Amino acid sequence: MAQSVSAHVIELEDVVKRYRSGEEEIAALDGVDFHVDRGEMVTVIGPSGSGKSTMLNIIGLLDTPTEGTVSHHGRNVSEFTEDELTEERRSGIGFVFQDFHLLPMLTATENVELPSMWDTSVDRHDRAVDLLRRVGLSDRLDHTPKQLSGGQQQRVAIARALINEPAVVLADEPTGNLDQETGRLILEELTRLKEEEGVAIVVVTHDDQVLDYTDRVVRIVDGVIQGREAEP
Amino acid sequence: MSVAEWLWRFPSALMAWRNLGRNKVRTGLAALGIVIGVVAIASLGMAGAAIQQQATADLGSIGNQVTVSTGEDSDTDGLTDDQVEGIRSVSGDATVVPQKSNFTRLTARNGDEVSVSVTALTNASAMYEVWRGEAPERLQSGALIGNATATRLGLELGDPVEYDGQLYRVRGIIESQQGGFGSGGSTLVLPLSALRDQEYYDSVTILTDGGEEATAVSDAIEARFNPGDEEVLSVTNFGDIQQQVGSFLNTLNLALLGIGSISLVVASVAILNVMLMSTIERRGEIGVLRAVGIRRGEVLRMILTEALLLGVIGGLVGALLSLGVGLLMFDVLADDATQVLAWSSSRYLLYGFLFAVVASLLSGLYPAWKAANDRPVDSLRG
Repeated sequence: MAQSVSAHVIELEDVVKRYRSGEEEIAALDGVDFHVDRGEMVTVIGPSGSGKSTMLNIIGLLDTPTEGTVSHHGRNVSEFTEDELTEERRSGIGFVFQDFHLLPMLTATENVELPSMWDTSVDRHDRAVDLLRRVGLSDRLDHTPKQLSGGQQQRVAIARALINEPAVVLADEPTGNLDQETGRLILEELTRLKEEEGVAIVVVTHDDQVLDYTDRVVRIVDGVIQGREAEP
Repeated sequence: MSVAEWLWRFPSALMAWRNLGRNKVRTGLAALGIVIGVVAIASLGMAGAAIQQQATADLGSIGNQVTVSTGEDSDTDGLTDDQVEGIRSVSGDATVVPQKSNFTRLTARNGDEVSVSVTALTNASAMYEVWRGEAPERLQSGALIGNATATRLGLELGDPVEYDGQLYRVRGIIESQQGGFGSGGSTLVLPLSALRDQEYYDSVTILTDGGEEATAVSDAIEARFNPGDEEVLSVTNFGDIQQQVGSFLNTLNLALLGIGSISLVVASVAILNVMLMSTIERRGEIGVLRAVGIRRGEVLRMILTEALLLGVIGGLVGALLSLGVGLLMFDVLADDATQVLAWSSSRYLLYGFLFAVVASLLSGLYPAWKAANDRPVDSLRG
C-alpha cells in the first residue's frame, strides 16, 4: 500500500461527529484535529462523555465522522466503502479493549489468530505462538479465556492486536479492569511495542498510571481538544 | 490431524461448531425440533409409500387384466367364436383366455355337498397359480381345484372329480388368497371340452403387461365391438381401477407430506428464534469480529454455517430415527421390513433431510444478515 514517509500514521482534521438524541442534536466531537506518528504513544484523557471513545472509534474506522477528514498514512478514508474500511482495520489497526473481548470458545492461540482466520492464504499460527511467547504466555497457548486471569487475557488481546503487524494500536481503557501491578505490565508491553516495532499507539484512559508511559497527552472536554498538547 | 486442525481450514465451520457447543442445551433443543420435523415428514411419506405398496400388492396383477362379457345390446347370451377371434386380433401380444362357467355341487366321500363354481378354459397356467401339482398351459384333460374345496372334500392330487357324468383327475390345487377375484377356494377348473354343451363363452380375460396396455386393449375392443352408444360387449378394465386407486393414494400421500411439512416449518421457526437470540446475545462478540477486520460476508457465512450445521445434524438424526420408524411400519403394513430400503419409500428420508437443511438455511438468513450488517460501533456496545 502507498505509504508516504512524511504523512502521519493517522490524522483527523476538523472532525465533527453529531448524534441525534430525540429533538436535539449533540456534537460528540466538535472540530477535532489530531494526529499520531510512528513510534509514538498518545494518551487521550477527559471526563466521561467528553467524546474520547467516539474519537477512538473514528480513528479506528469503526465509526464515520459527520464532517471533517480522516487520513490513514495520508490517504483520505472518508470515501472508503464498508468493505474497504474492514480491510483497512484488518491490515492496519490493532484493537485492545477494556473488557479484553476475547471469544470465549476459542483458545488463546486461536483468539490471536482470529483477525486472519478467514484469510486461508496465510498461516499465522507460528506468528500467533511467537506473539504469545513475547507477552509471556507460552505456557497458556491452549487455554480458553475463562482459564486465564484478567492480565493474561489482556496480553492475549495485545497479541491479537499485533497479529497482522498493524501500524497503529488503539487501546480503550486497556488497564481499566486490571489491578495496578498488572496494568503496569500491560503498559510496559505497549511501550516495548512502540520502541521495538515503531507502532503508533493511542490510548484512551482514566488511569493516571498511563501518563508515566506516554509521549503526549491530549485532553478533550465536551468534544473539543483543550489548549495545546501538553507534555506529560 | 485432529478434527479442530482440519476444521481450521474452514474457519466458518470451526467458529460455527464452537458456537453451537457453547450452549449445548439450546443447540440440542433446536436440533430436536428439526429431528421431529424430519421424522414427521419422512414417516408420513413412508407411510404413504407403504400403503401404496400394500394396495398394489393386494390388487395384484388384476390391474393388467381386461375382462369382456356380453353386453346388454348383444344378440347372443354369450361371446361367439367370431367375437373371441376379433378380441384376439386387437389384443396384440396379450394373452387371451376365453372361459365358460357354470355351477355345480360336488359330493365328498362322507356325503358332504360343496357348491363350487366351474370354469372351463384352456390356458390354465396364465390364470392360476397352483400350490401343488401343475397348471398346464393347455388344459386338455384333468382338473384344477381350489385349495379350500380340496380340503373340504378330502381331495388329493390324482383323485377323481365328477362333473356332468365325466371323471376328471385332479392335476393341481390352486392357491387360495391368490390374486384378485374368483380364484378363491371354491373353484373347479376344467378343460373347455367339459362345457361343450354351452355354445357361447361367458367371458374372456385378456392378460396384458401392465395397466396402460390393459387400457389400450380395452379401448380397442370398445372401438371394434361397441359402435356408438351400443354395448354389445361389456368391457371391464381393471387397469383403470388401479390407476384411480393409484391417483387417490398419490393425493393421500401429498396430504400426509403436507402435514409433515407443517411440523418442519414449525421447527424452522424455532431455529430462526434460536439463531436470532444467539446472535443478539453475541452482538458484542460479532462487533469484535467486525472491529478486528472480519468482513461482513465472513460473519454472514459463520452464522449461516451454524444454522446449516443444526439442519444437517437434526436432519441426519431425524433420518436415522425415521428409518427405524419405517422399518417398523413396513414390517406391520407390508410384512417385509426391508422394503423400506426401496427407493419409493427411502427417498422420503432424503427429502426429509434436504427439507431440514434448506429450512435451517432459510431460517439462518435473517439473523445472519442482521448480525453482519450491524455497524461495528453499535454492536461493540453489546
